[in-house]
Amino acid sequence: MSEHNPIILLVEDNDDDVQLTLRAFEKSKVANRIIVVRDGQEALDYLYARGPHARRPDSEMPQVVLLDLKLPKVDGLEVLRHMRGQEATRRLPVVVLTSSKEERDIIASYNLGANSYVRKPVDFGQFVEAAAQLGLYWLVLNEAPPLP
Amino acid sequence: MKPLVLIVDDSLTVRMDLAEAFHSADFEALQCSSVKEARKALAGQSCDLVVLDILLPDGDGFDFLREIRSSKKSDIPVMLLSSEAEARDRIKGLKKGADEYVGKPYDRSYVVSRARQLLRHGDQEAGGKRQTVLVIDDSSTFRSELQQALEKQDYGVMTAASGEEGLRMAADLRPSAVVVDGVLPGIDGATVIRRIRLDTALRQTLCVLLTGSEEQGAELKALEAGADAFVRKEEDIPVVFARLAAALRKAPESTSQSAVSLLGPKKILAVDDSLTYLHELTDALRGEGYDVAMAKSGEEALELLAVQAVDCILLDLLMPGLSGQETCRRIKAAPFLRDIPVIMLTAMEDRNTMIEGLIAGADDYISKSSDLEILRARVRAQLRRRQFEGENRRIREQLLRVELEAAEARAARELAETRAALIAELERKNRELETFSYSVSHDLRAPLRSIDGFSQALVEDYGKALDEKASDYLRRIRGAAQRMGELIDDLLQLSRIGRMDLNRESVDLSAMVTAIVKALQERAPERQVEFRTQGGLVVEADPRLLKIALENLLGNAWKFTGKTPRAMIEVGTEANGRESVYYVKDNGAGFDMEYAAKLFAPFQRLHKDTEFPGTGIGLATVYRIVDRHGGRIWVEASPGAGATFRWTIPLSKGGEAYERTQPHHSAG
Repeated sequence: MSEHNPIILLVEDNDDDVQLTLRAFEKSKVANRIIVVRDGQEALDYLYARGPHARRPDSEMPQVVLLDLKLPKVDGLEVLRHMRGQEATRRLPVVVLTSSKEERDIIASYNLGANSYVRKPVDFGQFVEAAAQLGLYWLVLNEAPPLP
Repeated sequence: MKPLVLIVDDSLTVRMDLAEAFHSADFEALQCSSVKEARKALAGQSCDLVVLDILLPDGDGFDFLREIRSSKKSDIPVMLLSSEAEARDRIKGLKKGADEYVGKPYDRSYVVSRARQLLRHGDQEAGGKRQTVLVIDDSSTFRSELQQALEKQDYGVMTAASGEEGLRMAADLRPSAVVVDGVLPGIDGATVIRRIRLDTALRQTLCVLLTGSEEQGAELKALEAGADAFVRKEEDIPVVFARLAAALRKAPESTSQSAVSLLGPKKILAVDDSLTYLHELTDALRGEGYDVAMAKSGEEALELLAVQAVDCILLDLLMPGLSGQETCRRIKAAPFLRDIPVIMLTAMEDRNTMIEGLIAGADDYISKSSDLEILRARVRAQLRRRQFEGENRRIREQLLRVELEAAEARAARELAETRAALIAELERKNRELETFSYSVSHDLRAPLRSIDGFSQALVEDYGKALDEKASDYLRRIRGAAQRMGELIDDLLQLSRIGRMDLNRESVDLSAMVTAIVKALQERAPERQVEFRTQGGLVVEADPRLLKIALENLLGNAWKFTGKTPRAMIEVGTEANGRESVYYVKDNGAGFDMEYAAKLFAPFQRLHKDTEFPGTGIGLATVYRIVDRHGGRIWVEASPGAGATFRWTIPLSKGGEAYERTQPHHSAG
């Protein structure tokens, strides 16, 4: 796909979930670099290289964003809405990765332009499976949009 | 425009007499001497009323009446006119649709009055708001002068030359105001006003008394009589108008439009076996302006009363056949007749017969030997009494209606308020519950993920350091975390089902069942289950809810046949009277029917978790879904022989269920 290793941006505030997600990717042999941000505000700062992330190099723009919905400060749906309104992130694949399978969350996510909606399973075994499929699809099979 | 009356009678005398009477009452009259002429006249003119004789040279009045009633002009008022020989004719005429039946010899003023009344009835709906004034004065110069001036002011005007005529017109036409001269040839103006005030149907009519300036105490006289205003004749006509206009402005909206005026035409039924006495009575009463219907027996009287409305009944006590007492008793027992005053007549001055008559319900009692003047006075008294009673009843009914309406409005308001409060409360609770289950769905699962995930990490990374017992504990911890995850999911689903909108549509039940079974089979490809479903089952249901219910029922059947060697699951329908019953049947573990009642409550399980795991929420969910569709669900089972769940989904209003029964087998 590309000469450099694509970056995954994980937006997650729960430390347990961060560790489990990293472990699930590791177990499923997804070797990409995963950058973790802890809330919606930080996610936007990173994406648009501003505030504490002002010095992020262009090469560290992620290829896919894993987005939790319940986040402090700016929630996941807000982040998504903002991303779809900006030229730089309009086409960036976003996978909503969250606890609930509430219908209204699923509908709102797709309405705002989420590319996928994955519910984090309680069973860690299933989580590893899901992470493997996500890595395979979004980082290997999927043809990414050209970077702006 | 003047109303046009068609007079159909073969007697020239009658025609001339009636035509004159109608002309002087401001009607146009058209005379016809035969049915042929009348038919032609009716076809060519738009008549307002027909006065029709029964015996005509070229036909029968009844036949012509039927012809009119079945023609385009079927709603035209018809007054039959005939020599009162037989009560039978009267009954026949009224039954055939005559609006009035007047016996010959007739009273001219009665005929004209009734004509006015019949026309007023037809006009009432179309009648405008224009105010009408009746001018009563014996000077024709003054009458026409005032009429012209009033018409310019846009009042409707009618005039009368005497007090008697004026009163009759007031009763028939119900003017908004009466302007009456104080000095008149017959009864004077003050008397006219007094009579108007006595009549409940007219008493609200505005009355203005005209007086001469030379008269002493004219004002006092006018006020005593009950006039609303008085005007001196010498004053300018504009002053008269100003007074009239001012008085009319504050005149109350007449509430007694529907009341029957005392001064209007009255019909009296005389019942006696002696024709001679009947004629004597009739003559005496016709002179007073009443129309009299005659009946020669009690039976005839009752038959007549069924079709002829009368205002008073004179009833002979001693008659062959039905006695006066019995006739009276029957009249007083009939709800629509009992208010008509009955005056008993008898030849004997006998105290006992009088008492018997009164016991039978008569309103008054009079000896045949009495002066006819007394009879007339009694009749007048009875008519007045009846009118007062009618007014009282109307007032009572009106009060009651107002009270009832107020009570109903209050009750409706309270109900609406209570309901609004309940709905608001319900919506608030629903929102709370929604927020609660949303948080549960997000936050309660995260710790479970940590418990499961890190237990697994421990096993994977430090497995070597753990002995068998420690690994078993970790396995138990993970099992519990996963079961709790399922429990949370099932509970959320159960709670959501009660709050989801129910959207019914036609659902292909057979296709839905097939898809669910396919998914079950994919999850456990090693299992061999024979699966049968009836094709073409269509129900009116919410597809999302129905799917959840079927997933639970089929999932249970799948689970409980897990240990059955030749597992079989069947879905189908069976007619039970008018409703369709659907079923899911398996040959699995089954259960003891003793516990069947507990089955549909949440958390009720009939099997050990080690045998068949589950949360015990599935059937509660199914029950709630069927219940929301207005259906019923029940079960039949025995241990080791499987279970059959049956349910109904009734049609929603206007819906239609259709199903074909084509057996369809598919093995899984």
